[in-house]
Amino acid sequence: MFRFLRRNAAGYVFLSPWLVGFVFLALGPILASLYMSFTRYDMVSPPVWDGLGNYQYMFEHDRRFWKALQVTFTFVAFSVPLRLAMALGVAMLLDKGLRTIGLYRAIFYLPSLLGASIAIALLWREMFGVDGVVNGALAMIGIEGRGWITDPDTSLYTIVILAMWQFGSPMLIFLAGLRGIPRDLYEAAEIDGTSKWRQFWRITLPMLAPVVFFNLVLQTIEAFKTFTSAFIISNGTGAPADSLLFYTVYLFNEAFKFFRMGYASALAWVLLIIIAVFTALAFATSKYWVHYENERD
Amino acid sequence: MKTNVIDRSTVADPEADLAHEIRLRQKAREKRARLLKHAFLMLLSFVMLYPLLWLFASSLKPENEIFGDLGLWPSQFQWSNYTEGWNALPVSFTVFYANSAIVTVLSVIGNLLSCSFAAYAFARLTFNGRTFFFALMMMTMMLPYHVVLIPQYVLFLNLGWVDTYLPLIVPRFLAADGFFIFLMVQFFRQIPRELDEAAMIDGCSPFKIYWAIILPLSLPAMGTAAIFSLIWVWEDFLAPLIYLNDINSYTVPLALRLFVDQEGQSAFGQMFAMSVLSLVPVLLFFVAFQKLIIRGIATSGMK
Amino acid sequence: MKLTRRLFLGSMGTATAATILPAFPAFAQDRSIRHFWWGNPTRDKNTFNVIDLFQGANPGIKVSGETIGWGDYWTKMATQTAGGNMADVIQMAHTFIHEYVGRGAIKPLDEFVGNGIDLSNYDAGANDVGTIDGKLYGINIGSTTQAIPYNIRAFEDAGIDVDTLAWTTEDLAAACAAITEKSGGAMTGSEDLSLYLENFEVWVRSTGRDLYSEDGKLEMTAEDVQSYWEFWGGLRDAGFVEGKDATVILDKGMADLGITKGTTAMTFRYANQVGAVQSLMTDPVGAARVPQRPGTGNGHYVLPSMFLCMTRDVGDIDAANAYIDFWINNPEALKSLGIDRGIPPSQMGRDAIEPTLSDVDKNVVAFFGGVQDQVGPVPNATPKGAGEVRDAFMRTGTDVVLGNMPADEAAGQFIQDAESILIRANR
Repeated sequence: MFRFLRRNAAGYVFLSPWLVGFVFLALGPILASLYMSFTRYDMVSPPVWDGLGNYQYMFEHDRRFWKALQVTFTFVAFSVPLRLAMALGVAMLLDKGLRTIGLYRAIFYLPSLLGASIAIALLWREMFGVDGVVNGALAMIGIEGRGWITDPDTSLYTIVILAMWQFGSPMLIFLAGLRGIPRDLYEAAEIDGTSKWRQFWRITLPMLAPVVFFNLVLQTIEAFKTFTSAFIISNGTGAPADSLLFYTVYLFNEAFKFFRMGYASALAWVLLIIIAVFTALAFATSKYWVHYENERD
Repeated sequence: MKTNVIDRSTVADPEADLAHEIRLRQKAREKRARLLKHAFLMLLSFVMLYPLLWLFASSLKPENEIFGDLGLWPSQFQWSNYTEGWNALPVSFTVFYANSAIVTVLSVIGNLLSCSFAAYAFARLTFNGRTFFFALMMMTMMLPYHVVLIPQYVLFLNLGWVDTYLPLIVPRFLAADGFFIFLMVQFFRQIPRELDEAAMIDGCSPFKIYWAIILPLSLPAMGTAAIFSLIWVWEDFLAPLIYLNDINSYTVPLALRLFVDQEGQSAFGQMFAMSVLSLVPVLLFFVAFQKLIIRGIATSGMK
Repeated sequence: MKLTRRLFLGSMGTATAATILPAFPAFAQDRSIRHFWWGNPTRDKNTFNVIDLFQGANPGIKVSGETIGWGDYWTKMATQTAGGNMADVIQMAHTFIHEYVGRGAIKPLDEFVGNGIDLSNYDAGANDVGTIDGKLYGINIGSTTQAIPYNIRAFEDAGIDVDTLAWTTEDLAAACAAITEKSGGAMTGSEDLSLYLENFEVWVRSTGRDLYSEDGKLEMTAEDVQSYWEFWGGLRDAGFVEGKDATVILDKGMADLGITKGTTAMTFRYANQVGAVQSLMTDPVGAARVPQRPGTGNGHYVLPSMFLCMTRDVGDIDAANAYIDFWINNPEALKSLGIDRGIPPSQMGRDAIEPTLSDVDKNVVAFFGGVQDQVGPVPNATPKGAGEVRDAFMRTGTDVVLGNMPADEAAGQFIQDAESILIRANR
């Protein structure tokens, strides 16, 4: 017992705020939502046990569940790589000595500050509408536009663009990571005559791997859970033709619009499992490409 | 300056001449690259700024022009959207800003302290169940928030915390946001282990190592976390919506939602004006704190 | 629950409470009630004004006013309901009242009528919609009816001379053509109303049926749906109504409407919302009846745009009654409230607001008076799941608008979907 304490004491002391919060504030609600997923619960009357009913309905009868999955997977597949590439590219441009760099950083972060407000929804619909700015710009180079945001074939990609445009947070994290790379590595490479391209692959990317990993995992989780932008731009409906029916938008409507909190909870746990699988994959592969400075694991 | 260089080179020996030539060309190439970079960044800036310009323009338009006229330039500048918007709601925005400030400042402090504690434990200390707890922590980030909303509300209701700021602040002192823990873990693990090992041999306690080595060497990460934490808490909407009832306790984002009624009379101009103003504090904080990220080059000197 | 809260606060001590907790009404006065409504800046000011008036007249009772915008209101309401912490008095919408009453979240008021709440000033039938299964659950705090807001200038420019209180769908089609041609296509006659279930409801009711039967089954038929979608499809194909890109945006807010953007001359709203439409426009706005097919009956009906309800979780019933009574019977309160929530359902209320009316308000009041002889009986109560049926209507209609499905096939599919939705919701 004493040895156990001595080995673990410091760890648990530092972990204790999180541990207390988890046990007293998070665990109960999480388990409650798991329980609700096996019930029919309209939030007014008490939940009624329904066994696997919700899950069964979801997989066997619910067309919109599959549609929501399809929308969300497409979004994740496009938005995560594009957003990360954008963020990393701009972060690298900004990392090296321009004098006006602080200004640019602030400007590039601004869209992320705007978040997904009503203003953004109105603006996005205006920009990607039939008479919008985007079509105006396309007309100048001779391309005929369309109602990008109202055409079910393209509406999802306007949300992808929105996600790309709000690349501020991964950019900032990349910047912080780039700052941690010792300059002398580059100086040495410069003296050896290594090209910039090789420097990127040989120095930047390996040194940045922990941060790339963080951004990849977090952006994937966030992308799967994308809610506000799609919700606000489609007035909460997932329209047109369910093309913006993101998983969490569907989940929210099931819960708060149609009074099916039990079903929504089941949806949530299925999403949790999907995300967990992807995250576990990322962690499992990370030992091949993420190496921590001087860490002997 | 330039002519000077050339003048001297004409009289110098041919070899030095060639070297000068190469250096000049290199300079010219670098200058071109820099110009190109600037041009690209400026173009990007415009794309990034357009929506803000639109928002700002809309905040100056008379109510009946905002949606009928899509041009950026208002026919008349209605600055009253700002002056009247400030007091347009039953409670003045002065109160909302004060409320937001209290919640935000406390939350940021809570986040930084508690998350860096947990991150230090995960990144540097060995204890039984570390992997298990880390996985649990990641899991809390994966469950859509909307389904824990109601159980959490019931919990806080039973604690008597509804209609107070406690549900907004206390979880932040208990490292509720796994994002920051994970972020800090990734940065802490980058710090050379020799440092804490050496410190340990010198008899430093884990707390001393955390305080004197890990934190100072992680300023970019802490700066990033501070910025995100501030921005997200400042903009947080769902928790204040659920937990605050009395309008006198509303935060700024909640107040902004009072302007627009999809079903009826709204005050879009004033809403836009107040939205623009609500960006000011976060932007100022961003500009001030980003220096932390940039200055935090201490790690490079440590190798 | 209340007990825990008091205990907790008591033990915490006032020092900490003062710094972290916002004002706690429970300690200021002996009696307190909470009133929760969805609002906007004007309505919030008016309502807080009424609260002040009430507190002035009833010094022993403290009213805590709680407000937020429409969309967020229902999320918060559901959460509070689940937690057993609903406000004592809430504002309700006709789209949600059956969902909440059907699940037992609202308290019937019959025992208080004439015994705390005085309804003697009310118009006959004004509380019919709020009476569900023979019990009064929601008190009408503003009447409204379906309406077509129209751009008066566009109508005049196009030389349209038609009695908009008596016009038919044929007149509407002709007006759409005239406006579109007159403007050279810059402004079409109307939004394409294919996806507005509320407008479709008038279409169905003009045949003497309702959307739902008395026992909560579907009463609308595939033929109703098909004919409605085909009518608007004809106008759409001719280019006399707004194109598909604008149509497929669902649940439009005021800022999305064709009429406020200046791209159309007409849209669908409820009469009490016409003032809000006007506030976003420079051209003057009028209110027209929803046109009906020639030779059909009255599809319009008068409904409360909002109700005042007492909830299951009410604490001080007497105080809540006093407050509700003050709201609906005090002339000063009524005057302060105006017609933002709809036309007062009592002569006394209408007299009180008379001097405060703006031009557009006067149009609305005149319109409301004008359609009185054309309204039918109130519809059957909507069953649980009606909100989801409405979503399905919009979703299937979108396929028709986008040309993915012919109207007849889509109508059949919608009816089928609607039936299974009702079964699932009423399990």
